[in-house]
Amino acid sequence: MSETLNTKRAKKLAKGPFGGVGHALNEIDDRLGAAKGGRTFLDKIFPDHWSFMLGEIALYSFVILLVTGIFLALYYIPSTAIVTYHGTYMPLYGQKMTEAYASSVNLSFAVRGGLLMRQMHHWACDIFVGALVVHMARVFFTGAFRKPRELNWTIGTTLMTLAIVNGFLGYSLPDDLVSGTGIRIAYSILLSLPVVGSYLAFWIFGGNFPGTMVIPRFFVLHEFIVPLLILGLVGAHLALLVRQKHTQFPGPGKTEENVVGTPMFPVFMAKTTGFLLIVGGVTAALGAFAQINPIWQFGQYHASNISYAVQPDWYMGFLDGALRIWPSWTFHSFGHTIAFETLVPALILPGLVFNLAYAWPALERKFTGDNAIHHLLDRPSDRAVRTSVGVATLSFLMMLFIASSTDVIANFFHISLNTVLWAMRILVVLVPLIAYPLSYKICKEMQSFKGAGKRKTTNVVTRTAEGEYVATASPRYVDDVPSHLAPIPVPKFITELDSVKNVDEGNGTRVVDR
Amino acid sequence: MIGSFFKRAALLTILGVASAGPLVLFAQGADAAKQPYQTGRIDSGTPNSTTVVKDSKGAVVSYGNSSITYNAPPTSLIGLGRALYMQNCASCHGTEANGVPATGSSGSYPALVGLGPATVDFWITSGRMPAADPRAVQAMRHVQKLTDSQALAISSWVNSLAPSYPYIPTPNLATANVSNGAALFALNCAACHTIEGDGDALASNTYAPSLRNIPAVQVVEAIRTGPANMPRFTGNLSDSQVNDIVKYVTTEIQHPNNPGGLGLGGLGPVAEGFIGLALGVGGLALFGFWVGERDE
Repeated sequence: MSETLNTKRAKKLAKGPFGGVGHALNEIDDRLGAAKGGRTFLDKIFPDHWSFMLGEIALYSFVILLVTGIFLALYYIPSTAIVTYHGTYMPLYGQKMTEAYASSVNLSFAVRGGLLMRQMHHWACDIFVGALVVHMARVFFTGAFRKPRELNWTIGTTLMTLAIVNGFLGYSLPDDLVSGTGIRIAYSILLSLPVVGSYLAFWIFGGNFPGTMVIPRFFVLHEFIVPLLILGLVGAHLALLVRQKHTQFPGPGKTEENVVGTPMFPVFMAKTTGFLLIVGGVTAALGAFAQINPIWQFGQYHASNISYAVQPDWYMGFLDGALRIWPSWTFHSFGHTIAFETLVPALILPGLVFNLAYAWPALERKFTGDNAIHHLLDRPSDRAVRTSVGVATLSFLMMLFIASSTDVIANFFHISLNTVLWAMRILVVLVPLIAYPLSYKICKEMQSFKGAGKRKTTNVVTRTAEGEYVATASPRYVDDVPSHLAPIPVPKFITELDSVKNVDEGNGTRVVDR
Repeated sequence: MIGSFFKRAALLTILGVASAGPLVLFAQGADAAKQPYQTGRIDSGTPNSTTVVKDSKGAVVSYGNSSITYNAPPTSLIGLGRALYMQNCASCHGTEANGVPATGSSGSYPALVGLGPATVDFWITSGRMPAADPRAVQAMRHVQKLTDSQALAISSWVNSLAPSYPYIPTPNLATANVSNGAALFALNCAACHTIEGDGDALASNTYAPSLRNIPAVQVVEAIRTGPANMPRFTGNLSDSQVNDIVKYVTTEIQHPNNPGGLGLGGLGPVAEGFIGLALGVGGLALFGFWVGERDE
């Protein structure tokens, strides 16, 4: 025996059926006991539906934001000290500018790959907030926020707020003409708060606008505090998702008591890693081929300069639009000014919208009296009121969003700016009022129509020998017939090669109890 | 009631006279300065002319400096100009160029006498005149209906009625500083024309036109004469500064530096948001649709 143990073959056999890797993993397990947790992790079941990927877009674009953001932080100088530009971009040569702007231009032109990183960062931000919106809409319309997931809905809404805030802060950092205009508006919004407004504005800006403190402070907020908050909340969001397990659409074999889907390893891991690379690829392609925020064309911000047709990034558009169309009502009396023209559209209105989002799960529990735990998702058409409220709110925000480009619309279509302004004032009220009953009616129609949302099959009309016409529906498309084999239960423990044996059975779908 | 009405009328009259007083001073000042000095729309010239060329009768033929030279339209074209004017302009601006339209037509039109050849030249060479729609709030830039030399002839005849400034400019872009022009553009022009020079809608059907295709001469003419809603930049911008702006407009605005890829029409966050949402989020959602399960 001792002789055979020394052969290469014997040594290999001694390591067990999974070879060197398995041996190494065994060594780790002996010391850390990682197998149990690792197994739970690798066997975690992910219900699969394309709409569940929307949140992943947000997650992965956030990863891209972190990576590109670290690159940018290496070259960006958060300082308002005045320097003279002696870089390669001739239309700025010799101009006096802040170090913040000069370093932003320099990292675009003088740092290898800097412009690509800046553009990827900006595109990833636009995609991040956009993906948050569609993810939130998916969660809302399918009722995924219901008990027990209200807390995760609250965290998600907070993430949305923080993402918008951090987007604005980052947009402000280059200190170019367009971003300076944005900071100016933010300062005015702070001022419009009654009683505390001027103190708050001075506290944040370290004095009157523009001052020299705002860029370094925004830098700390944008690079450190808000991303850490987002990172922590994303962690909590995902931890809660793992703890509470996923929701799933109703379907064959899917109940409130189980989770049907593909395990983390190998199916979901392959899909999600591929998707991470796709998100990275699309962002990189946009960063490489589509120019975003060409700050070198805007020049340094000076409080005396202003450019027309300045819009914020799209996710601030609804605020900008509200500010544009709100009438100029101001209260001046008793030695006080309350700028309702700014206060209402820029603070009260978004406050109402976000608080409605926060309160919605509780409101729905109260009005439906439904206090049960839900793991199966709704078809949006089955919940007509919720869907209609969502559509009306989204159409309201959409109208405000469109209102932030009144000047571009007027210029592009050669309409009077005043006409566009008044049209938006009316539409912002009218469209939600039309959208609610319309979507309610569509939902009700879809409820009463069997097979709504399914592909229609042809009716074959035949004539019998007697001349009678008979219509018979042709069978459903093969793709539309549920082809799932019964999902295989995830084993509770490893019984030798049990799990290996099961790998080739079924279509990879597994089921686990909640 | 009646007493208070008279009191109010009297007060208004006194206020009106008091506020009109300084205007008299301005009027006298303008009257005294018949030299090529730019003080008002009429007789506006340039304060920093280093060379003034006069003909044998003492009339100024050209003035200017190393940055911009302003030339009077040649007097030889007056006859041709008069004929062209009567064909193309007289029906609205009147046979005397005084803004009184021919009998039978109505409407109020500006008098052209004393506006200076650069004004007349600008409106014709930019294709705005003869107007496609005389009742439009603001004439649109259009394909030129009269050639440059015809425009020169008309401005020559109008100028012969009452010689006035500014003359037709020729910028010397070789001496211009594009960086200085960029800074001046951001300060003086971006508020209406946008920082990227795309122009935009202003209030009540007026607009600031795009600067993407404007020849250098017309840029100078517009700055110096202030067409339509545009302010007339005279005393606050020297010829060398105007020259810098023109250089910036004709180089960086009209041929923008887009090292980052497609310029997206210079529309800023409107276009960027559209691309980000449609291609970015929409495209990735399609990828998700491809990767994820679709049936129930």
